[in-house]
Amino acid sequence: MASPVDHGRSFGDSIEESTMAFLLGAMTLITFANVIARLMSSNILWALEATVFLFAWLVLIGASYAVKHNFHIGIDVAVQLLAPAKRRIVTLFAVAVCIAFSLLLLKGSWDYWWPFASSRAFYEVNDIPMPGFLQFFAHWLNDGELYEKMPRFMPYIVLPFSTLLLTIRFIQAGLRIWRNEQILIIESHEAESDLIDAKVAD
Amino acid sequence: MDALLLFLVVIGLMLMGVPIAVSLGFSSIGFLMIFSDASLASMAQTLMSAFTGHYTLLAIPFFVLASGFMSTGGVAKRIIRFAIAVVGHMRGGLAIASVFACMMFAALSGSSPATVVAIGTIVIAGMREVGYTKEFASGVICSAGTLGILIPPSIVMVVYAAATDVSVGRLFLAGVFPGLLAGVFLMIGIYVMARIKKLPSQPWKGWKEIGASGLDALWGLLLIVIILGGIYSGKFTPTEAAAVAAMYAFFIANFVYKDMGPLVTPDGNPHLSLWKNPQSLLTVWLHKDTRKVLFESGKLTVMLMFIIANALILKHVLTEEQIPQAIADLMLGAGLGPIMFLVVVNLLLLIGGQFMEPSGLLIIVAPLVFPIAMELGIDPIHLGIIMVVNMEIGMITPPVGLNLFVTAGVAKLSVLNVVRAALPFVAILFAFLILVTYWPPLSTWLPTVMMGPEIMIK
Amino acid sequence: DCDDGEMVIKFSHVTNTDKHPKGIAASLLQKRVNEEMNGVACMEVFPNSVLYDDDKVLEAMLNGDVQMAAPSLSKFETFTKKYRIFDLPFMFKNIDSVDAFQNSEAGQSMLNSMNKRGLQGLGFWHNGMKQISANKPLELPGDAAGLKFRVQPSDVLVAQFDALKASPQKMAFSEVYGALQTGVVDGQENTWSNVYGQKFFEVQDGTTESNHGVLDYLVVTGSDWWEGLDAPVRDQLATILKEVTETRNAESTRVNEEAKAAIIAAGGVVRELTDEQRAAWVEVLKPVWEQFEGDVGADMIEAAQSFN
Ligand code: NA
Ligand code: NA
Repeated sequence: MASPVDHGRSFGDSIEESTMAFLLGAMTLITFANVIARLMSSNILWALEATVFLFAWLVLIGASYAVKHNFHIGIDVAVQLLAPAKRRIVTLFAVAVCIAFSLLLLKGSWDYWWPFASSRAFYEVNDIPMPGFLQFFAHWLNDGELYEKMPRFMPYIVLPFSTLLLTIRFIQAGLRIWRNEQILIIESHEAESDLIDAKVAD
Repeated sequence: MDALLLFLVVIGLMLMGVPIAVSLGFSSIGFLMIFSDASLASMAQTLMSAFTGHYTLLAIPFFVLASGFMSTGGVAKRIIRFAIAVVGHMRGGLAIASVFACMMFAALSGSSPATVVAIGTIVIAGMREVGYTKEFASGVICSAGTLGILIPPSIVMVVYAAATDVSVGRLFLAGVFPGLLAGVFLMIGIYVMARIKKLPSQPWKGWKEIGASGLDALWGLLLIVIILGGIYSGKFTPTEAAAVAAMYAFFIANFVYKDMGPLVTPDGNPHLSLWKNPQSLLTVWLHKDTRKVLFESGKLTVMLMFIIANALILKHVLTEEQIPQAIADLMLGAGLGPIMFLVVVNLLLLIGGQFMEPSGLLIIVAPLVFPIAMELGIDPIHLGIIMVVNMEIGMITPPVGLNLFVTAGVAKLSVLNVVRAALPFVAILFAFLILVTYWPPLSTWLPTVMMGPEIMIK
Repeated sequence: DCDDGEMVIKFSHVTNTDKHPKGIAASLLQKRVNEEMNGVACMEVFPNSVLYDDDKVLEAMLNGDVQMAAPSLSKFETFTKKYRIFDLPFMFKNIDSVDAFQNSEAGQSMLNSMNKRGLQGLGFWHNGMKQISANKPLELPGDAAGLKFRVQPSDVLVAQFDALKASPQKMAFSEVYGALQTGVVDGQENTWSNVYGQKFFEVQDGTTESNHGVLDYLVVTGSDWWEGLDAPVRDQLATILKEVTETRNAESTRVNEEAKAAIIAAGGVVRELTDEQRAAWVEVLKPVWEQFEGDVGADMIEAAQSFN
């Protein structure tokens, strides 16, 4: 919210932004459609589950976009008190923590997801039906037994995907800080409002 | 002891500029690897179940989106005009009107930062024009914006309900009177300051302006009726109400106020007619304004939810190590009565609120104190409102205060200046917190009257 | 707290520890394991979904993060569709026939039916027979037509309400009371102890004693973990579990009767069905069997019927 500083936007940004917009829009429409259906004494039995999976996709994919555009919330008061050289060292340590975090999550996500794509490929979600055109997965992974519901490895794939992306983004941020192109790994409120002040020349 | 170490590491990392979400997540995973035999995969699973296992949290993106459409789509603007027409003529009128506008917007929106942005972007500039200092204007908006989470609907109440399984509908009702009273507290405070500082008032524009502006704002204000009416008449659940609110705000913004979307003309005025441009009903879905509001709301959702998800990882680790029981035993063993217990809870939340964003903090603290509160016979709804008021104070105190950050951005001030400007209002809210804490009927009377006496379901 | 050197057994469930039949059983199991296997094993119980909900607990079990749980039987339909037999309406006359079937050869074979998918069933815990309630009187199946009922995630239960021409709705369990109160949904089905425990009767016109289905739990563990135990430890654990199961299951009828009496005492309405009314419900709902006969197996249905 309120990010008046316009970054140069790349093609990659535009894909990510459209994806986030689409995911939030789809969540809202599905939930709204279910309300309407129920008012007409009908139902969309998969609406709730589909919405929560879209929710997970939105936030997990968005988390790495947030690193790219540096809008994760943090406390900058303490580090802002430091001299630039010391601040750089502390921030590099902070980035190292972020990279370690994302690597641990990446490992955890892979450990969690891989069984669902292999030995537990039978494991279905609760409500979302399996679209017919995806049934080739059943032949491929489920001994040919057709899926009634979507197998869990499908919605869960966002975990290894997004944590990999998160790791890459933290490494890139680290490089930017190493090269003195970026100061902090969190949204810096002092710097931002100074910048706006300078621009507005109030 | 281990738990204390865990909390110290979390705070230490935060102070070194590690993002809050990562500080929570990294410390928890590290703690788990050292002290427990749970797998790394269980951390990924917990991350996933932040979304798939807590249906009520779904209200967060929906309320954020509804706020986005309302501030971009002209609802906020019209509410402000109405507020000025009603109370602008009093001493310090524009500031009092700003509080009134924040209260009305709070009744439509579930989020405090969203309330600050929606109302603040317009009224701070307005207050400066008539001679208020930028600092005073920021202090007003920053603190009145906190009403966003006390006056229903409220994201923070939704989070509390998700953490403790109490009824969201009940909590919403419980917030009505405390929310109104907090607004009145702030208005009285401003009136006193206005007398001392000799702040200006607006000319009385007459009943006609009240009528005209009220009518113009009606479409926006109708949303209150839709949200609360829909919930209590059984049309939808509180979570769904948020999605309905977003859809309603989307249509009002694009097709009634036409301040955004396909019916805006290049010069902005007059707007195109829907009747003559029926194709806009289709183009609106992919319109750049729609996409922009969706994306900006998505961004705010990501910021909030990534912290909440990692707070849930921390909560999982605390549960796994049975720390809530240990703390409960400690507190009950110390012979804490209800009054002292509430003091402790307030202190815990006030300190926690310095470092944490409200929803994340609640996710961690609610399960720690909830069982003790039940043991001591404290009403869970009352406890929820106490927590919300604490979170309001946390939002306007440094170093982590969402409203401070957002206000600084909106007012183009440094955070430190906003902190200073907010200080008198922190004092007002603190007095209000004491009132809420030790006068339970303020919170519990309305839900009891409307929905019958409390039953605890566990 | 567990001592050093003891094997930690984490038992995760979703109810309270002292009022719900499952919670009471889990607490009893914990007490006995911790007394009789002291020094060898130690059980930690995580109630109220604080650690995992019923959906996530089976995933966690397969990952080895939790050792025991007792989800309701419909949660196992994704592991083997055989478990759908317990959701089929009017499959069992009463909880005694459920009990007899579960203890028969056919029932016991179901405990091992998920081994290749990593789960080992250890025993069935009763909650009891399901009753049906709504915001208007339900005496004949037609009374349910057009109403919205909250259902657990189960295709059989969806089909059951479809057969009643009612509208099944998905909803988080924690939202059900509020939804019944305001009318987001009109009705629900549950056992007496749940209708009483969740206070659903307060926000319903009445509850019809239909006994149309069964709500039971499967105590379950990971096959690998179970196989990896030392034989004496495993045997002792199995013996304790068997005794706890028998003790608590014998109580289930009494628990539900008490809940029913408590509902009436609290002013709730309980409707009994005449033989003709019951026959009408059976006639409407029994066709659901055909829909799932392929999943469940005709032989299993026959076995279940033999105990009615
Ligand atoms: Na609000
Ligand atoms: Na704070």
